[in-house]
Amino acid sequence: MADGPVLDGARLTVLAQLESMSIRRLGRLLRHHGVSEAFDRVIDGRVGAEVADEAIRRSWTEAARHVDLSVVRDQLEELEVRVTSWHDEGHPSVLTTDIDPAPVLFRIGEVPPLHLPRVAVVGTRRCSGAGLETAHELGRELAAAGVVVVSGLAIGVDGAAHEGALEAGAAPPIAVVGSGPDVVYPRRHRGLWRRIGEMGCLCTEAPLGAEPAAWRFPARNRLIAALADLVVVVESRVAGGSLLTVEQAIRRGVDVMAVPGSVRNPAADGANQLLVDGCAPARSADDVLLALGLSTVDRVVRRAGGDPLPTGEAAAVLAAIDDGPTAIDEIVARCGLSARAVFAQVEILLGRGHIVADGARVRRS
Amino acid sequence: MLATVPSSTLSGVEGRSVSVEVHVADGLPSFTIVGLPDASCREARDRVRAAIVSTELDWPQRRITVNLAPGDVPKIGAGLDLPIALGLLCASGQLPESSLDDLGAFGELGLDGTIRSVPGALPMVDAVKALRVVVPAADARVTSLIAGSRVRPVRHLRDVTSVLSEGWPWPEVHLDLTPDPVLPVPDLCDVKGQATARTALEIAAAGGHHLLLVGPPGAGKTMLARRLGGLLPDLGRVEALEVTRVHSAAGLPLPPSGLVTRPPFRAPHHSSSMAALVGGGTGRARPGEISAASGGVLFLDELGEFAPSVLDALRQPLEEGVVRVARSGGTHEQPARVILVAAMNPCPCGAGGDIGCRCPPSARVRYSRRVSGPLLDRLDLMIHVDRPAPAALLDRAPGECSAAVAERVMSVRMRSQQRGVRCNADLDDSQLDEHASLDDEARELVAGALAAGRLSARGLRRVRCVARTIRDLDDGEAGLRLGDVATALGMRARPPMGGDRG
Repeated sequence: MADGPVLDGARLTVLAQLESMSIRRLGRLLRHHGVSEAFDRVIDGRVGAEVADEAIRRSWTEAARHVDLSVVRDQLEELEVRVTSWHDEGHPSVLTTDIDPAPVLFRIGEVPPLHLPRVAVVGTRRCSGAGLETAHELGRELAAAGVVVVSGLAIGVDGAAHEGALEAGAAPPIAVVGSGPDVVYPRRHRGLWRRIGEMGCLCTEAPLGAEPAAWRFPARNRLIAALADLVVVVESRVAGGSLLTVEQAIRRGVDVMAVPGSVRNPAADGANQLLVDGCAPARSADDVLLALGLSTVDRVVRRAGGDPLPTGEAAAVLAAIDDGPTAIDEIVARCGLSARAVFAQVEILLGRGHIVADGARVRRS
Repeated sequence: MLATVPSSTLSGVEGRSVSVEVHVADGLPSFTIVGLPDASCREARDRVRAAIVSTELDWPQRRITVNLAPGDVPKIGAGLDLPIALGLLCASGQLPESSLDDLGAFGELGLDGTIRSVPGALPMVDAVKALRVVVPAADARVTSLIAGSRVRPVRHLRDVTSVLSEGWPWPEVHLDLTPDPVLPVPDLCDVKGQATARTALEIAAAGGHHLLLVGPPGAGKTMLARRLGGLLPDLGRVEALEVTRVHSAAGLPLPPSGLVTRPPFRAPHHSSSMAALVGGGTGRARPGEISAASGGVLFLDELGEFAPSVLDALRQPLEEGVVRVARSGGTHEQPARVILVAAMNPCPCGAGGDIGCRCPPSARVRYSRRVSGPLLDRLDLMIHVDRPAPAALLDRAPGECSAAVAERVMSVRMRSQQRGVRCNADLDDSQLDEHASLDDEARELVAGALAAGRLSARGLRRVRCVARTIRDLDDGEAGLRLGDVATALGMRARPPMGGDRG
């Protein structure tokens, strides 16, 4: 057919939307045939018995016959969703050669060039404030160093990492989601969803209109692991979903690092257990960059070459600030200056980058 | 026969002149009150009848019509009982016709003829258009604050009739002229540690700046806030009268001298409705808590638990210092010059995202959203109050006492008054340019904060006001240094972090 390639995206969408079409069945369907051939076989009822049961195949034939491909194509164009199968040039090669390859990928935005290093930053949805900050900072600093941040766009660590990566405005992030590209989930990340599509790449195996069904998330985690050169777990509970990503990473020989957490923070138990099991600790973006074999020299030089060291009251206040979060009251008690003077100096030190705010407290940068 | 008695009614916190006209004519016996009386005013007929009969005067068995003019102003409360009774006695010939010349009155009647106090006596006496005003004896002190020699305090209806019909002198009402007792207020010396919160309280009191205290439960936010009142200087005469006027209208208890001289401290519960907080209510525009706190402190404990719509209703009054409550009868302006002190937990469980915080990020985001950005922008100082260190708690040496801090606060207020404002928070743009110019370093710091989006245009003005107060606490010289502005900026509330994150 002359319109073959143009309608392939629509055909893939229709195939993926069929009732009872799992990723495994779609893979078997597309294993030996191109997209239009596979589609024709579904319509003609010539799908092999190894793909699915008789009843399912019959229902597929029934459903596929009544679809108007041009409508689906217009829908894809309107939503700016691109669809590729593993037969296509545009399909990310890491997903084609993976041990559990993705037969089809729906995406909004361009896949970042594959020569860029890719780091998955994952973690629990129910994370602590410190976990959020860490994920945000990792996302920002990794992206600023030219690393593509890959994550799942979930509430908590995932979203914060993406938010940070976008803030850096450098390397484009990749979000792998568990619902259709037009089904925003979680709803709270509407804005983030749109911005990732504009500035990075939002991709999923789920077709248009697919609800975020629970079974799609382990498959989503497998894609995150497949896309990453390195997985960093920020905070994870002992039986958290991010540990599934870790499992998938280990199957693929992808290195895993974990951000050490407080032993009193239940949200960090899973990450701490990974450290016990022998994962390398990721204390900052520098640790991750070193593990990737990227230089951190630029960053060190930049920090050292900043403002001159403070003197006078500012020096006394700086000396009273720990590397960990320090409350203003504590600084007042330690340095003997008035609370008013301490507030002034803290504000000035913050402005010059000698210290950073950590919630209501401050610590050395 | 017709008789007219000048009186007044309450409208918001202002008195409105009312003319009570009583007409007694032949016909079937009846008693009608017209002219927008409210329920308690309409019930005057029964109280007046009983009071007249108990005073051993005659109740005319004729057709009685009472008109309360002007007809478009709602008449509120029982204060018109006394003028109705006097008008009725005159119109039925029991008082000489000339006895009511230049005599006004208000007061509630008891069934035995005693005259009872009414809320709002102070604004009401001002509005009575008469040379002499008969007032309840209980309201004698407060009304004589502004009406002085016009006031004729009485205890019983019989006192008035014997003066008017038999020519007796006005009864002497003994005024208790002893000064008000000094009520004990909590003192700052009970607060252990909390250096930053103490400083913030001092700045808030000195400059009249709004303050937000954020911290875990049990850290001492409420304890600190309750000590702010003790740091404020006494009210000036004009301000004291205004505060008394509002308290009188709101029916709040007044001190024995009648004049409220200490800044009020009001702490409404977080279940308060919008009408309770900013004023209003059906029919009469009752002053709200923010007006009752005018001249003093409005303390909102558990800020995050107030209904967001109620909090947002505070935005305009905080900015302008007055509340305008619109009612069908017109717009009522009520004073609202308060120092707002608010206290809240950083999150529902109180730990604020620290270790041990049991709130999921969504709950923290929801909680931080309960207080809107525009309201936060109006809070000049935000202090995190942590639980004091054990050493400070067990330290037996008392902290600096309120009196010492109040002295410094007073000296700053004097400087503000020399600039022509009540306190530094009231400085306007031209006054800021004159008294709060920034030096180069300070300008650079502020420019950085503006560029980073941390500061709005309003925020900049507020930062300069606070910096002015900080400099005044130091030495009061003209101009602001880097340190003053940096402290003001460091103490300023910031919009909650990561609204969309997590």
